Amino acid sequence: MKTPPINLKELQRLKEENFQDRLRFLEKYAEWVKKTSNKTWSKQQRDLIE
Amino acid sequence: MELTFLPEKIILNKELNALDRFILDFTRILEKKKIRFVLISGYVTILFGRNRTSEDIDMFVEQLDFARFNDVWNHLIKKFECINTNDGDEAYHEYLAKGCSLRFSKKGSFIPNIEFKFPKIDLDTWTLVERKTVLLNKKQLFISPLELQIPYKLFLGGEKDIEDAKYLYSLTKEHLKVTLLQEFNKKLKTTNVFRKYLL
Repeated sequence: MKTPPINLKELQRLKEENFQDRLRFLEKYAEWVKKTSNKTWSKQQRDLIE
Repeated sequence: MELTFLPEKIILNKELNALDRFILDFTRILEKKKIRFVLISGYVTILFGRNRTSEDIDMFVEQLDFARFNDVWNHLIKKFECINTNDGDEAYHEYLAKGCSLRFSKKGSFIPNIEFKFPKIDLDTWTLVERKTVLLNKKQLFISPLELQIPYKLFLGGEKDIEDAKYLYSLTKEHLKVTLLQEFNKKLKTTNVFRKYLL
């Protein structure tokens, strides 16, 4: 089976971009949690985890 | 989020998830036996709302002699099982006394489990001494000070760890002791990664 060429630097860059995107999401999520009632965010968390 | 930061404690009332309930059940026994403990690492982030779960919950427990350990062991095994061994003598002498942790789960379950360990280094002892009280739905838990927890997560350095640090810092930055946070960043050599990802 022929496999595609892999540019590890490019792959690393994409991994970093994806990670940065995830961090931006977490910052936004933390901001949302801060302004949302405990009942609302913790119910969503419970429903997701269980 | 209704989160009250007081000098001596953090007050949080929320819908408890399965992990919260598991930990409260376990720690209630330690509390009854007046055993000092502190929760560290991933659960601290989940406690404050990050949407992930964890297979294991890390906990430091004060150094116990065999008599105190055996007493709490006899209470713990009524409701929980130790994954490493079902013998208290072996649990103490072959695991804890040799610097290894014990893992406790609910009877019949493998996960989640609580990693129960004695402090090994000065930083572990500091965490246990300086632990922060959290009143979770009026029940008492103890967590690692966030000023250490955040740099320590950065020190671990995996993506999940940096994400945990980002979430905790974003959520609590107005309440943190900046000089303490900076000191731990300096000691753990995480200042650059802190600036890169958290600011």
